[in-house]
Amino acid sequence: MNHNAYIPRLAKFIEIKEEVGGARPIKSFRTQFINQNGFSFRSGQCAMLSVFGKGESMISISSSPLIKDYLQFSILKMGRVTSALHEMQVGEIIGIRGPYGNGFPMKEWKGKNLIFIGGGIGLAPIWSVLQTALTQKEEYGDLILIYGARISNDLVFKQELSELKKKMKVYLSVDVEEPDWDEFVGFVPVNVLEKKPSPKNAISITCGPPIMIKFVIQNLKALGFEDEQIYTTVENKMKCGIGKCGRCNIGLHYVCEDGPVYSWTELKNLPQEY
Amino acid sequence: MVNLKELKKEAERILEEGKVKYIIGYERGTNGFWPTPAFIKNPEDVEKLIWDPTCVYNLTRFLVDEKRRKAKEKKPDERPVAIIVKGCDSRALIILLQEKFINREDVHVIGVSCENGGVLDEKKLARRVKGKKALKVEFGEKDKLIVTTEEGKTEIPAEEILAERCLECKANFPVIFDVFLGEKTKRQLDNPFHSLEKIESLSKEERWAFWKEQFDKCIRCYACRSVCPMCYCDECVVDTINFAVTADTPAEEKAQKIKWVEKSPVSSENFVYHLVRAIHLAGRCIDCGECERACPLDIPIRLLNKKLEKEAKELFDYEVGFDPDQPSLVSSFKDEDPEDFIK
Amino acid sequence: MEKTLLKRSFPQWVKKLSSYKILAPVRDGDFWNYEVIDDSNSVDLNYLNTVLSPKKIIFPQREVFLEFSSSNEEGLEIKEVLPDEKSSVIFGVRPCDAKALTLMDKVFGDDLEDPYFLERRNSTILVGLACNTPPSPNCFCLSVGGSTHSKEGLDILLTDLGDKYFVESLTKKGDELIKLAKGTFQEPKPKDKPDAKKIQTDSEKKLKRQIKEIKKVTSELKEMFDSPFWDEESMGCISCGICTYLCPTCHCFDINDEVTSSSPLKGKRVRNWDNCQFPDFTMHSSGHNPRPDKASRLRQRILHKFQYFVEKYQSYQCTGCGRCVSKCPVGIDIIEVVNKVKDYES
Repeated sequence: MNHNAYIPRLAKFIEIKEEVGGARPIKSFRTQFINQNGFSFRSGQCAMLSVFGKGESMISISSSPLIKDYLQFSILKMGRVTSALHEMQVGEIIGIRGPYGNGFPMKEWKGKNLIFIGGGIGLAPIWSVLQTALTQKEEYGDLILIYGARISNDLVFKQELSELKKKMKVYLSVDVEEPDWDEFVGFVPVNVLEKKPSPKNAISITCGPPIMIKFVIQNLKALGFEDEQIYTTVENKMKCGIGKCGRCNIGLHYVCEDGPVYSWTELKNLPQEY
Repeated sequence: MVNLKELKKEAERILEEGKVKYIIGYERGTNGFWPTPAFIKNPEDVEKLIWDPTCVYNLTRFLVDEKRRKAKEKKPDERPVAIIVKGCDSRALIILLQEKFINREDVHVIGVSCENGGVLDEKKLARRVKGKKALKVEFGEKDKLIVTTEEGKTEIPAEEILAERCLECKANFPVIFDVFLGEKTKRQLDNPFHSLEKIESLSKEERWAFWKEQFDKCIRCYACRSVCPMCYCDECVVDTINFAVTADTPAEEKAQKIKWVEKSPVSSENFVYHLVRAIHLAGRCIDCGECERACPLDIPIRLLNKKLEKEAKELFDYEVGFDPDQPSLVSSFKDEDPEDFIK
Repeated sequence: MEKTLLKRSFPQWVKKLSSYKILAPVRDGDFWNYEVIDDSNSVDLNYLNTVLSPKKIIFPQREVFLEFSSSNEEGLEIKEVLPDEKSSVIFGVRPCDAKALTLMDKVFGDDLEDPYFLERRNSTILVGLACNTPPSPNCFCLSVGGSTHSKEGLDILLTDLGDKYFVESLTKKGDELIKLAKGTFQEPKPKDKPDAKKIQTDSEKKLKRQIKEIKKVTSELKEMFDSPFWDEESMGCISCGICTYLCPTCHCFDINDEVTSSSPLKGKRVRNWDNCQFPDFTMHSSGHNPRPDKASRLRQRILHKFQYFVEKYQSYQCTGCGRCVSKCPVGIDIIEVVNKVKDYES
């Protein structure tokens, strides 16, 4: 009997950590399935989280597939379902179905330099691929992270970032001056131009607010990156997650199935409607 | 009778003089003899305009769209929009002005009189011509309509094929206008609220059973809501999303929007949707009948609104849609208002 | 297998099918809709076409996916709710509506299968009725690769020969249905099949509307994404749901949780029809809406049906039933819009 793709598996929260407080809070949730059967996925894939009684929300899996003990989701509080998630405690039950989407083509990137560029919550969808590359460091070239947020409080994975600095190049930024900030001040796309990552044998992976992605891609091209060297992950409103409800399409693609990971070569040929 | 040439001349004049952005009117459609809304920007296109008993649509609905479009533009064109209105449509315009949804200077009103005619009811016409295909309908002399079928022209007394609401019409000619075409003749009101008689004679249980049967047909296409000029709320009871949210709206506010009605088209939800909509239109509905005409399943929706219009008149002596300075029904009171519900 | 059936013997056939749920068009005022039939005498195939297509039987407007309730052990319990109904026979399916179901099969049977749709689809037998004359003045099935007597998606096709039907069984399920009432059918006389063929081909000539040169449309549409054409065409649209809900091929849906009790938590997760013409269809929680205006939504509808679906499944997502044209409250005419696409110079 085929597994019914609409039925979620039950999972419980084993750890909930506040990443960003304030008016637009972000929390990281670690989940464990109640039925211990594994869940294998590729970096860049997402899962539909169910808060029964409220609804579902498609969230990218931010932990690396190499970690078998839990799945991590880093979620910005935005509407009905995400607000309900933010109210939940360790031990409470949600539903998870997935993994959905196409994931990053990491096999094609062996030996290459990987440049991760993120803005705000946009680091979460690319955290998985970053952590995987870091764990398998020998298989890739240089790893660089260029990441920024409006204010330093809005940076996610703050603890992990300071750990990360010991293992790879990490360039952080905030949009405007603030006391005790000694790294770059300015928008992420400008920081990209500043740090001049070389396009030679490199792949760039970017995610963040749509306006940031637009300018990052522009600046990467100015630095000599080809379309096929630029990857991003797109989001759209989703309900079924399996390419049937007709909601998340960009042209003939369904973001839940054919995306969310796109190279600029592919994305530029799709209608700019997202 | 309204002189179509005059109408086109006026339309051409205001476009040539650049007085208006565009004109909302009627043009011949491609589905039989039914019209389609025309949005005329160029003087050459005024030839497309038509005026006959098929011009059923309440075009004031498109003033709502115009307001929304203008709100999104960075440097909006401040000129008014011209609109062709019948008597009923003009009353809808009065409501929009009364509620200060639009300003008087944003609209250039070209009023046309139905005189002894009105607009067609598709089904009544089909039954009257008994299987023959009607090709054209025109206003005739006195109170006759001229129907052209493949077999030639016939004159039919208007009341046999007019829409039900036209037989209860309170405004044969527009009550507000900048330009007036036709004559200010008033057809004798047959019997106000006549269409309610049958349903009012039913007992409460029979009435509930009647509406249950009707609402069980409803597929919640929201055509009734979408076609109504007065249903312009950004935060509708039926929607799960408030359209007025911005990037700064706090998540709590979005999360706290109550789901009053489920999306499922089941009896209970359909009842709530239609009854709440009727109550939200009390004192605002001018009986253009568009909701009923638009319904693909022939649910007699306007009866709900008509009943509330009757109560507004009988209990509060409130006439809807004639005076733009009148306060709205539900936000005003008079000392003489009935108090017999206070025990 | 080919048979004939006298019209007056029709109720006898229906009587023999008591192990199935029978659905057929039933008159309701001025139009028809599919209803469950209890009395074999009331199946009347003397009709035009229904307002709501048979898609509502196989893809209901409300369908329960699962039930959830708080439990003492795990904290929460969910129970899958698959369709559990008697097999059905739908009588009087027009070829356009049957073809539409084959298009939906492509979507719901693709990749991760939809068990709810497939369960109902597999347990429903479709008995079609060829169109002697096009049921609607807005029919245009021929333009989109269909016909007045297309067999796609049907188990049996009936052709009205006047006092009897010419019965063509197209699948094993169709054969079964006929076998259940063997005695009611007759062998066709030599004239019957050619008569049926003539009626079928003659009716094609009676179609009044067409999309001209439709093969050009897909490539034209590719160039027109940013065109002001959509703004002009959508000025009159009121963003209701009639065209999509009445369309036999449209399948967009929503998934909602309906809570019957909040403490202890109890409820159902249901699927409802949804509609790309509603303003909130693509609206994100943040308020961002990729399709905020009528122009982009009309463009999505036309492009999905005449470009994206073609690129993905090599078929138009339209079977020419004409319902959207007949029932649009403001007379927006998909045939005209698509015809204009070819001639539009941006």
